[in-house]
Amino acid sequence: MSWTVVVADDDPDIRTLVGIAAAKAGLEVLASVGDGEAALQAIRQHRPDLAILDISMPERTGLDVVREARADDSLGDLRIVLLSASVDDVSQEAGLGSGADYFMTKPFSPRELAAFLSVGKEAR
Amino acid sequence: MSALRKRVLRALDAPSPALKQSATALAVIASAVLVLVVPDLGFTNPPAAIAGLVIVGIACALALLMYRGGPALLRLELLIPIIDLFGIGAFRFGTGGTQSLFAALIILPVVWLASAPGRRHILYAWAGTSLALSMPWLLTWSVPQTAPEWLRLIVTPTIFAIAGAIVNELARLSRTAVDDATRLAADKERMLQRTVEYAAQLQDSEAKYRAADRMFRGVWAAVTEQSVIGTDVTGLIDLWNPGATKLLGLTEDEADDKLHIFDFHDPDELEAHARELNYPPGETVLNPGFSALVESARLGEAEVREWTYIRPDGTRIPVELSVTKRVDEEGRTRGYLFVATDITKAKEVARLKDEFVGLISHELRTPLSSILGYLELMRDDEDQPLSAEQLQYLGVAERNANRLLRLVGDLLFTAQVESGKFALDNRELGLASIVSASIETGRPLANAAGVDLALELPPQRVAVFGDPVRLGQAVDNLISNAIKFTPRGGSVTVSLFERDGKAVVEVRDTGLGIAASELDKLFSRFFRATTATRNAVPGVGLGLTITKAIVIAHHGEMAVESEEGVGTCFSMSLPLVVSAVPVS
Repeated sequence: MSWTVVVADDDPDIRTLVGIAAAKAGLEVLASVGDGEAALQAIRQHRPDLAILDISMPERTGLDVVREARADDSLGDLRIVLLSASVDDVSQEAGLGSGADYFMTKPFSPRELAAFLSVGKEAR
Repeated sequence: MSALRKRVLRALDAPSPALKQSATALAVIASAVLVLVVPDLGFTNPPAAIAGLVIVGIACALALLMYRGGPALLRLELLIPIIDLFGIGAFRFGTGGTQSLFAALIILPVVWLASAPGRRHILYAWAGTSLALSMPWLLTWSVPQTAPEWLRLIVTPTIFAIAGAIVNELARLSRTAVDDATRLAADKERMLQRTVEYAAQLQDSEAKYRAADRMFRGVWAAVTEQSVIGTDVTGLIDLWNPGATKLLGLTEDEADDKLHIFDFHDPDELEAHARELNYPPGETVLNPGFSALVESARLGEAEVREWTYIRPDGTRIPVELSVTKRVDEEGRTRGYLFVATDITKAKEVARLKDEFVGLISHELRTPLSSILGYLELMRDDEDQPLSAEQLQYLGVAERNANRLLRLVGDLLFTAQVESGKFALDNRELGLASIVSASIETGRPLANAAGVDLALELPPQRVAVFGDPVRLGQAVDNLISNAIKFTPRGGSVTVSLFERDGKAVVEVRDTGLGIAASELDKLFSRFFRATTATRNAVPGVGLGLTITKAIVIAHHGEMAVESEEGVGTCFSMSLPLVVSAVPVS
């Protein structure tokens, strides 16, 4: 059984890029959405192993999604990676503080993201 | 009318010889007429009488001459009464000699003579009288025969001389009185003059004072954007400008009430500052918050601090407040002046600017993430490997995208520095590792530019307290700058050492150098040296600004020495940490 992932980013190009990196790492992309509300719905519907979320999104931010997901006991096994284009240290603290497992800043290397995801999958 | 009167008065005040002589002349003419008219009188010796009249006539002529002749002849004025004495003497002889009625005429020239200043004139009067009275004997070449004649000749001149002495003395007194009066008049004139001048000065000062007062009132009323409040030493407000009532939202009536300056301050802020200054609460007579507020002003130090004013309606207004002492003429503190500027807008602008920079940097970073990500996918595509030429083009695109990314980062960092919001993750660290890492980062650039990059490290550990990422960024900047400005074949030497209790990182190149006139502008934002623009060295002028900001944030100093065509040496010195780690 392959590892499943939901990708959310308001920029479609980044969304595709993350999807490609995930596919390279051998992950199955269940959904790729453009806002926080859709991300939450997709997570609840598909129950993936992993969610890769952009912080700054319309409707609900990535941080909102993390908080909602963490408050939901049925999603206890979900791993979350946050992506941010902001370099503020505050964002990183807020990201990890909200309950995300990893924090990555943009721009990121798809090669490195793929390697990171492969390692995470093996560790599982 | 009054002009004529003045002339007459002046003439009488200082009579001319002609005027003085006119009395004698009239008396003599009247006597001659009497002799001719009164039957019992008559000329006993007509030639002598006529000679007398002629002599008096000569004196009259002389007086008129002097009147016309001016001051040079006036010195001879006393000749006239002397001549008169001769003339009257002769006339007396011709009208009865010693028996003549007209001996009394002598008194007129005698008075003239005797009234001249100086006692010697009494003697002249006596001599002249004697001569005139002895005329009957002189002219007949005889001597007095009887005792009464002798007596008269001696006594009469003496009496005339006594009269002359009295006249002389009276004239002297009168002259003294006149002199005193003249002097007094002059004094009065001078005083009057001085009073007039003083009054003019007073008027002038008053005009100046009024102008200054108008100016002050104008300025006071014109300051509507700053609040100016004056208080006594206890903080009781006694002075408001229109700006103060506007800023604090008060009506004229409210401003007239007895209010204290600290009523308008955020009490928590005042209390916090009082605690900072270690004022024991409740132990001073004054409000401790007020004491804290005026602490610097009381010590005579100029201080500008940010405080929060609270309006009666509860609105909070951030202000920049400067507090100064009000002193009286003896220099004693009588109160304080509070000049406040509303910085609400400035704070809002700063906040918007931060927000804007954050947004821009986010919006630039997102497309750059796509560009760099997809370029990498293209490079890593194993199914369709790129040709060498394509890889080279891709490299150019990647290099430029990265350059753009660095620029965005630098801009954001500069904005953070400006708003005082850049956080340092400080720890004790060895500078050698940081400098070595920066050398490795700079190595590819140096190789490509054909520049020799050398490192000189000290044997001991050089430790400072700082943020390794930021310090690394600072050294990176200095090294990449040095490489950029050094022509092929040159060298860049990075050395680390201790000097005067400081850790010093020095980056020395054999490059283009910087004009002396540009050295002080070097660390300003977006400044680019002439050598940079002339030689088309890429950059926007943020690197040194950022480097300096990092060094300053570490309580360090930046220095630069340069000579055009010879090279440049940048050095940063940081406070040394005395390390417990032993030297290996």
